[in-house]
Amino acid sequence: MTVLRLDHVSVLYGRVSAVSDVSLAVDEGEIFALVGESGCGKTTLAMAVMGLLPRSAAVAGTIEFLGRDLTALGEDERAALRGDRISMVFQDPASALDPAFSVGEQIAETIRAHKPVGLREAKTRAIRLLEEVGIPDASRRYRDPPHRFSGGMQQRVVIATALANEPALLIADEPTAALDVTIQAQILGLMRELRRRHRTTSLLIAHDFGVVAQLCDRAGVLYAGQLVEVAPVAALFSESRHPYTAALLGALPSAEHARGALPAAPGQVPDLVSPPPGCRFQPRCPLRRAECDLVPPLAPVGDHLTACWATPETQALGRELAEARA
Amino acid sequence: MSVRTRYVATRVALTVPTLLAMSLFVFLLIRLVPGDPVRTMLGFRATPENVRTIRHELGLDRPLVSQYFSWLGGIFRGDLGQDYISHESLTQLLRERIPVTLELTIASMALALLVGVPLGVIASSGRRLGKATASIFTIAGISIPDFWLGTILILVFAAKLGWLPPTGYVPLSEDPLQNLRYMTLPVLTLATGEAAYILRTTRASMQETLERPFVTFLRAKGLRRHAIVYKHALRTASLPIVTVAGIQFGVLLGGAIVVETLFGLPGVGKLVVTAINQRNYTVVQGSVLVIAALFIVVNLVTDLFYGLLNPRLGEERA
Amino acid sequence: MTAATVALRHVRPRTITARLGGRQAAAGIGILTLLVLVALLAPVLAPHSPDAIDADHILAGPSWSHPFGFDALGRDVLSRVLFAYRASLGVSIGAVALALVLGLPIGVIAGYFGGVVDNLLMRPIDLLLALPALLLAISLISITGPGELVALFAIATIYLPILARVVRSSVLAVSRELYVEGARARGVSHARTIWSHVVPNALGPAVVQASVLAGFALQIEAALSFLGLGAQPPTPSLGLMLADGYQVLQQAPWADIFPGLAIAVTVVAFNLVGDGLRAKLDPRGISG
Repeated sequence: MTVLRLDHVSVLYGRVSAVSDVSLAVDEGEIFALVGESGCGKTTLAMAVMGLLPRSAAVAGTIEFLGRDLTALGEDERAALRGDRISMVFQDPASALDPAFSVGEQIAETIRAHKPVGLREAKTRAIRLLEEVGIPDASRRYRDPPHRFSGGMQQRVVIATALANEPALLIADEPTAALDVTIQAQILGLMRELRRRHRTTSLLIAHDFGVVAQLCDRAGVLYAGQLVEVAPVAALFSESRHPYTAALLGALPSAEHARGALPAAPGQVPDLVSPPPGCRFQPRCPLRRAECDLVPPLAPVGDHLTACWATPETQALGRELAEARA
Repeated sequence: MSVRTRYVATRVALTVPTLLAMSLFVFLLIRLVPGDPVRTMLGFRATPENVRTIRHELGLDRPLVSQYFSWLGGIFRGDLGQDYISHESLTQLLRERIPVTLELTIASMALALLVGVPLGVIASSGRRLGKATASIFTIAGISIPDFWLGTILILVFAAKLGWLPPTGYVPLSEDPLQNLRYMTLPVLTLATGEAAYILRTTRASMQETLERPFVTFLRAKGLRRHAIVYKHALRTASLPIVTVAGIQFGVLLGGAIVVETLFGLPGVGKLVVTAINQRNYTVVQGSVLVIAALFIVVNLVTDLFYGLLNPRLGEERA
Repeated sequence: MTAATVALRHVRPRTITARLGGRQAAAGIGILTLLVLVALLAPVLAPHSPDAIDADHILAGPSWSHPFGFDALGRDVLSRVLFAYRASLGVSIGAVALALVLGLPIGVIAGYFGGVVDNLLMRPIDLLLALPALLLAISLISITGPGELVALFAIATIYLPILARVVRSSVLAVSRELYVEGARARGVSHARTIWSHVVPNALGPAVVQASVLAGFALQIEAALSFLGLGAQPPTPSLGLMLADGYQVLQQAPWADIFPGLAIAVTVVAFNLVGDGLRAKLDPRGISG
C-alpha cells in the first residue's frame, strides 16, 4: 500500500525554483531516503508534505497521503494530521524543543492535542515513550526542561514526541547531523529498533550516505530540485545509473582515494532562480548531449528509476526527441 | 543550595551594597551645594549667630564621616530627620506620601501591562490593519510628553466635560470610589505612554520568538495557532517584557514626579519638587533616598520574577 | 566575515531613500532637518517679537496674523513657540551630544580592555543607572539651583551611562570579530586598532541610541522647565510655556496645545530617524 505519493510536485519560493516536478511513492513499512547535497530541495520537499512552508511558497502538483490529496486540504485539516498521522523530526533537537517547558509536558501535549485523553493518562503514556526511546529514570526526568539533556537525549525526546501518536508516516530531516558520531550511531540504532517494533513508514532526509546505508530500504537522489534517480539502497551504491549519483558516490572518501585528490564534478550547483533548461545537471555532466535540454523522464532502468538520456534504455527516445525538435 | 536559591540569595545580597552606595551618593549630593546651605535656607534671617545655631542643630559642623553615619543610624532607627522648615518628622511625612506615589505608579504600570501586552501580541500576529494601528499608537504614545497629555485630559474631561476632577486626592482607605475619581486622570496619563512602550516591546519580542525553530516544531506537532501563540510563544517572549517593565518602573517614578505636581497629588514626587524650590535640603535628601530605594526594590522583585520565569538560570546569563 | 558578507557589503542601495536607511529614516531625517532649520531660523521666521505684549489681545484665540493665538500676557504664541523651540531643541541635542562625546571613550575603553578596567569604569556608571532618570536630573539640579545650562548638564549626566553601555556592548561585539584580532596579530597598536577598526564599527548602535535619546531629552527638558527647575524666565522654553499654558487652560487652550504639539512632533521625528537607521547601523540590535 502506498502511504505517500508525490505527483509532479514543484515548489516555488518567489522566483526560486526549489523543487521541480518530483514524483515518487513511499510504500508501507519502508524507509525511503531522500539524498542530495545542501540546497537540493530535500528539506523543502519534506516541509511541503508537512504543510509547513511559508505562505510565500507556491506548491504545484499533488501530495497524496493515504489516498487523500494534502494540497486540497485546509490549514485546520492539515494541522489535525500533523503530529498525529504525519510526524517530523528535525535536525537540531536543541532548537526544536521549547526551553520553557519540561520534555515530558511537550510529549504529553502532543498526545492531548490529538487524542481525547486526560492529563494523567497523557503523562503515563509520555513516560512510557521516554522509556522506550532509552531515557533512563523516565518518570523523574519527565519534569526536566530540555537544557538538562545532552544532544543525543534531546533527539530521543524529539523522536518520542514524533512517535507519540503512532503516525502512519514519519519524516526525519537529517536527524543525526547535529550529533557526534558516537551518538549518531546510538540514535540510528534506536531508529532501527523502533522501526522493527512499530513498522512506521519513514521518509529520511540525509546527505550522509553512511546513514542511508545503515537504515534505509530505498533512496531517491535529488539534484537542484530535480529527482534524478530512485533505487533500492544496495543497488544504488553498487551501480548507480545517473551521472550525478555516480559523481556523488565517487566523491566519498575511501581507501581507494589513498593518494591524490578526491574526484569532484566540475562546476557548481546551478542558480535556482534561472536554472538550466531540462536536466539541471547537464552543465556539469560528462555525458551531456543535445537532448538534455529536455527534462528526461524517470524511466525504469533495471531495478532503478533514472532520469537521464544517456542510459541505454532512454538513448533512442532521447535522440528521437532531439531530432523531432530540430 | 540549588541554582535558583543561589540566584535569589545573590540578588538580595547585592541589593544591600547598592542601597548603601545610593545613600552615600544622596548624602554627598546635598553636601555638594556650593555656598552654605544654611545661609540659603535662612535667607535674610542669616545672621552669623543664627547660622551657627542652625548648623549645630543640623549637625553640619561635625566631620562629614560622623554626619553620614549618624544619618545612616537614624535611618535604621526609622528616623529620616526633620523637615527643617516645618519641623515635622520626615519619616511621618514620607509615610503619608509614599502610598500615594505607590498607588499612582503601580496602578499605571498595571494598566499599561493589561493594555500593552495583549495589544502587542495581536500586533505581532494579526492583520495588517491591527499592525498599522498599533504602530501609530506606539509612536504617538512614546512621543507625547506625559504631562502634556495630562493637561489635554484635564482640558477634555475636567474642564470641558466636567466628568472628573482636575486636582485633589482622597486616600484609598478612606473612600475607594472618590479615590478612583481623583486617580483616573493621573493614572491614564502615566499609563498611556507606558502602554505604548510595553506594546512595542511585546510586539518585538513576540515577533522574534515566533521566528524561532521551536515554533516550527510546535506546528509540526499539530498544535493550533492559539496554543502556540498564547501558551508557548508568550511564555518565552515574556522574559524581555519583564525586564523592560522593571526598568520602566523607574521612568514611571520620574513621570510620577511631574504628574503629581500637575494633578496636585500629595505624593513623594510633589514633595521633592516643593522641597527643592524651598531649598529644604533635609527633605530632598530623605525623599530622593526613599524613591531610589523604592526603585532598587522594584528592580529586585523584577529580577526575582525573571528568575522564576527563566528555566535556564545559572546556565545562561541573558 | 564570510565571503558572503563581504559580497553583500558591495551592493550599494541605489535610491536616496534606501541610502538613508529606508522610508522611515528618510521621513524622519526630512522632518528633523525641517525642524532644525525652523529652530535655527526662528528669529527670521517669527512674525512678531516673542516678548511683545499686546494688552488688547490677552488670551485671544488664533487668527490669521497670529495662527497660534495669544498667551496670558498678550504675547504671540507662534513666535514664542519658535524661540522656545530653538532653546529646548538646543538643550536636548546639546545634552545628548555631550553625553555621547563623554560616554564614547568610556565605553570604548571599558569594552576593549575589559577585565579590571571594565569593572572600574562601569561600576559608577551602573550606579547612575540605578536612579530613575528624572530623579537623577532633579537631584543634580537641587545642588546647583535651576537653569538652562544646568538642565543640559543634568540631562547629559542621565544619558551618559546609557550611551556608554551601548558603546561598550558594541565594542565587545566588534572586538570579537576576526579582523580586529587580525589587526592585533599584525602588530597594530591598541590605539590604532581602536581608532581604525573598533570605533567606526561600534559607532552605529550609539548613533541610533543617541537619536532616540535626543527625543526623550527634549521631553525631560520640558518636564524640568515645567517643574520650574530648568530654564528660568525670561529664557524661553517649551516646558515653561506648558506650565503657563496650564494656568490658562480653560480660557486659552492653544497656549498649551501648540508647545506640546511641537514637542511631540519632534520626538516622533527623532524616533523615526532612530528606528529607521537601526536596520542599517545596528543590525545586532545592541541599542535595544
